[in-house]
Amino acid sequence: MGKFLARPDGDWATQSTEFTPEEVSLLVDGELDADRVERVCRSLREPPAVATWVCYHVIGDSLRGQCAPLAGFGDRFSERLAAEPTVLAPPRSRPTPAAIALAAAATVAAVGVVGWVALTTMPAPTEAIATAQQAGIVRAADMRRPVVNEYLLAHQEYSPTTAIQGVRPYLRAVAADEQDAPR
Amino acid sequence: MRRGKAPPPAASPCIARIGGRAGLVLLALLPALASAEDAADWLQRAATAARQQTYAGTLVYQHSGRSETSRLLHMVDEKGEHEKLVNLDGPAREVIRNNEQVRCYYPDAKIIRVEPRTYRNAFPSLLPQQLDTLAGYYFFRKAEIARIAGVETQAILFEPKDGMRYGHKLWADMTTGLLLKAQLLNEHNAPIEQFAFTDIQIGIKIERDSVRPTYTPPPTDWQMRESLASDVVPQDTGWTVKDLPPGFSKIVEGYRTLRGKVGPVVHIVYTDGLVAVSVFVEPMPQTPQPVGLSQQGGINVYSRQIDDHLVTVLGETPGTTVRQIAYSVTRR
Repeated sequence: MGKFLARPDGDWATQSTEFTPEEVSLLVDGELDADRVERVCRSLREPPAVATWVCYHVIGDSLRGQCAPLAGFGDRFSERLAAEPTVLAPPRSRPTPAAIALAAAATVAAVGVVGWVALTTMPAPTEAIATAQQAGIVRAADMRRPVVNEYLLAHQEYSPTTAIQGVRPYLRAVAADEQDAPR
Repeated sequence: MRRGKAPPPAASPCIARIGGRAGLVLLALLPALASAEDAADWLQRAATAARQQTYAGTLVYQHSGRSETSRLLHMVDEKGEHEKLVNLDGPAREVIRNNEQVRCYYPDAKIIRVEPRTYRNAFPSLLPQQLDTLAGYYFFRKAEIARIAGVETQAILFEPKDGMRYGHKLWADMTTGLLLKAQLLNEHNAPIEQFAFTDIQIGIKIERDSVRPTYTPPPTDWQMRESLASDVVPQDTGWTVKDLPPGFSKIVEGYRTLRGKVGPVVHIVYTDGLVAVSVFVEPMPQTPQPVGLSQQGGINVYSRQIDDHLVTVLGETPGTTVRQIAYSVTRR
């Protein structure tokens, strides 16, 4: 679920391309609306979009501790993808946006794995990957953050799940504190 | 008791859409789709049983590949409800509820958190408006009869009609309606969070002493953190969500004081009848704040900075929902 969260929202939206980093991120997460999937996938033929796309994957990989980013990967990937036939026919029966986006992201990811394995020796990291690594570190720290407990307890007060399940949802608040007892 | 009632004929749009033979086959395979009233009935029974029944059991809470076992006791006497939840794995923690007041004990941190009026707002009965939203945004059906912790239960299913909410599968004791198992399901129908009893005794006698806090009186070096005036003071805060996911409506808006927060915090709650999403707005703290999405079990949290404010959206919904809400929080 990596995002460039440490940055103000505006920075990335100013790029004058057919996509926004937010959209690429949503695609990677399988959360992009169906009607935007095709356009964003098309933009993945262009280097800026590919760099962003690689970035988000590197963030994901570094969060999972599988980070060994290879520089120049984006360019090579871009070439390979450009050589691929377009397979983005509109779906006959309309599945959910998430399903379409997941399928699209999975296709791109599968191609990515091939590219990744093929490229073993590479020059210095690109700027995009360096940025991604930084963002990855920020996010990795976030991931360890337990749910904001004061907020969770305040929320629980109004949630219908509390009415239906009694005190059980409080396990979430208590469990959330496990690594980080209240100070 | 509506349990014995015959399910309505193929009235559901899901089945009506599928024509001919396929529809008949599906109809035969699918467990009956029941009405919204039926759904509300089950929820109501579960809520009532959770409050009125006396029970003791071992509860397993599973989320994010983790599993935590707790002991839960609940009894009712002339003073009302008393509930005790003790975790059996990891650092000892305890949740004690006496009617509206909830206390969380953290022996490892030597802290007791007191939530004086937590229970007052958890609505004991469903509002008519909630019924409508339930029917509009979830398919409800009765699933299998299953044995959970040695007790016959009816499994009931709330399947979301869109991607803005999770699915819910609940197993209710056939006799009392008490929920013995509950799952939150993602879009692939895979459980992301589960509460389940592995053993339970319902209707037994429980001594008042056994639901008192283990730490009575608490050691003198423990800190008591009481949240006073934690109620939302209802008023127009000037903050709103302009692109609210369908089916959610506002049930409360106002300011509240929270521990660890300097000034009053905006708290707005939206519900779709089954779950809630809270929006919190506070002045941007001096220390750097983590932003973005984080998840714990069935709870997703999205934080972002808007000008000099920190907005945090939290709820029992998919990440997409809290993110969408976080990105459409705006100042009127």
